[in-house]
Amino acid sequence: MRLTFKLAVSVKIVLVMCFSLFIVSCGKKEQDVSGKQAATDEAVIQAQQAAGVNGFSWDMAKGAKIKVLLNQHMYAEAIIKKIADFTQKTGIEVDYAITPEENYFDKVTTSLNSRSGDPDIFMTGAYQIWEYGAANFIQDLTPFIEDSNLTGPDYDIADFYEGVLGACRWDLIPGHKTGAGPYWGLPLGFEIYSLAYNKKVFADRGLAVPKTMEELIEICEKLKEFDGRGTYPIAFRGSRNWATIHPGYMSTFANYGAQDFVIENCKLVSKVNSPESVKMTEDWVKLIKVGGSPSWSSYTWYQAGADLGAGKAAMLFDADINGIHQNWKGASKETGNIAWAVMPLPAGQQTLNSNLWTWALAMNKSSKNKLAAWLFMQYFTGKEYALWASLEMKSVDPARASVWENSEFKKMMSQQSGYLETFKATINGTRILFTPQPHFFETTTEWAATLQKIVAGQYDSVQQGMDELKEKMDEAVEYLKTE
Amino acid sequence: MNLKLKRICGASVRNTLLALYAVFALFPIFWMILITFKTDAEMYTTTFIFHPTLHNYEEVLLRTDYFWAFLDNIIVSSLAVVVSVLAGVPAAYALARYKFRGKEDLAFTILSFKFAPEILVILPLFMIYQKLGIFDTYFGLIWVYQLITMPLIIWVVRGYFEDVNIEIEQAAQLDGYPWYSVFLKILLPLIKPGLVAAALLSFIFAWNSFTFPLLLSGFKIETVTVASLKYIASDTVHYGQMAVAATVAVIPEVVLALLIQKHLVRGLSFGAVKG
Repeated sequence: MRLTFKLAVSVKIVLVMCFSLFIVSCGKKEQDVSGKQAATDEAVIQAQQAAGVNGFSWDMAKGAKIKVLLNQHMYAEAIIKKIADFTQKTGIEVDYAITPEENYFDKVTTSLNSRSGDPDIFMTGAYQIWEYGAANFIQDLTPFIEDSNLTGPDYDIADFYEGVLGACRWDLIPGHKTGAGPYWGLPLGFEIYSLAYNKKVFADRGLAVPKTMEELIEICEKLKEFDGRGTYPIAFRGSRNWATIHPGYMSTFANYGAQDFVIENCKLVSKVNSPESVKMTEDWVKLIKVGGSPSWSSYTWYQAGADLGAGKAAMLFDADINGIHQNWKGASKETGNIAWAVMPLPAGQQTLNSNLWTWALAMNKSSKNKLAAWLFMQYFTGKEYALWASLEMKSVDPARASVWENSEFKKMMSQQSGYLETFKATINGTRILFTPQPHFFETTTEWAATLQKIVAGQYDSVQQGMDELKEKMDEAVEYLKTE
Repeated sequence: MNLKLKRICGASVRNTLLALYAVFALFPIFWMILITFKTDAEMYTTTFIFHPTLHNYEEVLLRTDYFWAFLDNIIVSSLAVVVSVLAGVPAAYALARYKFRGKEDLAFTILSFKFAPEILVILPLFMIYQKLGIFDTYFGLIWVYQLITMPLIIWVVRGYFEDVNIEIEQAAQLDGYPWYSVFLKILLPLIKPGLVAAALLSFIFAWNSFTFPLLLSGFKIETVTVASLKYIASDTVHYGQMAVAATVAVIPEVVLALLIQKHLVRGLSFGAVKG
C-alpha cells in the first residue's frame, strides 16, 4: 500500500517535471531560432523598412502599444512623469509596471526567460547584461543606433560619457572588457564612488580630508565614537552580497593594481590572491576593524547612507549619489553638512580608478514592438529628457556630458559641497572594473562572504582567505571559453 | 483568609504576566503605528519624542496607487476564497463520504499543490498565462490563488464532514429532504465553524501572497504585498510610508477575524475534542 502510494507520488512529480521541461523547451526552440537570426534580425529589418519610407520621425510607430518594466528608483519616477508627453509625441501607448529592487530582477529574468516578448523594455544594470546577453535575452541595439532612419539627428550618442556608455557594451566573450562590441543598453544615469564626509565633524575637530588609505585609517582612529556611543568613523556596505564588493572595495582594489580575473591559456583565471589583492584586502579589513560600524556585516546601501545622514557615521565610502540623497534639503538630520572628496588612494598611486553602476534601458530580444520600443529608449535617454530629469526630478548622476555642462545643473549641484569637483576628478577614470563573465553574481557574492569570514577571523591570514576564494572563483568559471 | 490571599496573589501574578505578554505581543503593532507619524529625517534619530505628522498617510493614500492595490487585493483574495469554498466544499464532502478508486491519491494530489515553492513553478505558469492571455488579469490571479486556498479548504472541511455522523444525513433523507437540502440545511450549519476558520485562514494566505502577484501581474493589477515594497526607494527606505502601507494592509484581516471570532474559536478547537 505504502509502495503504491510512493509510486503514485513519484509518477506525479516526474509528470510535473516533464511538463515544466516541455514548456521550457518550447521557449528554448524559439531561442535557437532567434539565435540564428541574430545577424539579420527580422524585426530590425521591418523597423528599418517601416522607417525607410519617410526617414526618421517620432510618430513612425504610431498606434503601437509597449510594456515597460521599471525598477523602483528615482530614474523610474522621472520616466513615469514623462510617459504622457512621450505618448503625445509618438502616438505610442505605454503600460508600465514598477517593482522594488529586491525582487525586480527575479521578475525580469522570469519574463525574459519566457521569451513571450513581454515586457518590450526593462531597466537593467551592466552586470545583468553579462547574464542576459550570454543567454540571448536582450536585443543588440547597434543596428538601431547606426541607422539614421531609426535614430533622430539630435540623439548625439557621443554625448554620453565613454565609460558609462561603454558599461553597456560587450562582445559577449567572457574575459573581454566592456566598452567594445554591441550596445546592449543605453544609460539613464549612473554612480561613481567617492568619499562623502560630514564637513562639520571634520571642521570641529580640525581634521583634513584623507587623501591616502593610510591617512584614512589614521583619521578613523581619531573619529572613534566622535559624537558619543553609537557613532563611528566610516560607513560602507558589508552584507553577504555582490553589492558589497562593487562600490568602494572594487575601486580601491583596482587602485592597488589588483585584478579579479585574467585570461590564461584561453581560460579565465582568478587573481584575487595576488600580492596586490591581498595587500588591498588587508588594508580594507583594517579599515573595517578600526572605523566600520559594529553591524558592518549586515550593512547595505540603505544603512550606510542613512548612518551618514543621521550623524552616526562621519564618512561614507560608497556611491556619490548615496550621500546626496541625505543632503537634499530636509532629507536627514545632517542635511547641508555633507561634502565630497575623491576616494583615498594607496600611497604613491596617482591614477584614480572608480568602478561604476549604471541603470540603463534595454530591449527584450523577443519584443514584438521593436520600433516603438526603440523610440521609447531614444526618448528617455535623449538629451532633452536627461536635462529635464536632472533639473526637475534631481535624477543624478546624468550619463550625458551636456547635462553636466548645463549652467542650471551646475548651479544646482554647486550647493553640494565638493560634488562637482569630485565628479570631474573621477569621471575620466570611471569604467567597469570587473571582468565580464556570466557568473558575476555568484563569484562576487562569494567574494563578499570571504570578506566577512576574514573580518570575523575565520582564516589564519588574509592570504589564506583569498587563496580559498580564488579556487572557488576558478571553479565557477572553469567551463567558460574566452575565444 | 489564607486561601483568599492565595487566590488574590495568584490572580495578580496571572494578570501581571498576561499584561506583560500583551505588551510584548502588541508592541510591534504599536511601534508600527508610531512610526507612521514620523518623518524620514526623524526616523533614525528619535524614539518616542518627535514631531508627529500625517505626511506619510497623505503620501501613501493620496499620492500613490496604494488604495487601488488595496482594492485589487480585496477583489482577488475574496473571490479566490469564494471560488475555493464553492468548489472545495462539495469536493471535501465527496472525499469524506464516497468510496471511489484513487480517492486518497486524489486527496494527496490536491494537498501536493502546496508542496513546491511558488518560485519553482512560476516560469511554466508565466508562460502558460502569457499563452492563454490571462497574465495580469483578475481571473488569472484568482485562478492561481486556488493553489493556495483550495487545498486548505478541502483538507480542513473534509475532516469536519468526516466528524458528522452519517445517521444525521440518513434521518434527514427519511424526513423527505432532497440531497441538496440535506447538504445545505443540515450539513453546512454543522460544519460552519470549520468552514469559517478554513476560509479565514485561506483569505489570510491569499491576502499575503507575494510571489504569484509579483510575477503574474503588475501592469494593471497589483496587490498590497507588492505595492508595500515600493517604499523601499533608491534614496532611502521610507519606513514611515511602509508602516502606513502595512497598517492599512492588516485592517481587513483584523476586521474579519474580529467579526467571525466566535466561529473561529469554535472552529479551531472543534477537532481537539473528537474522540
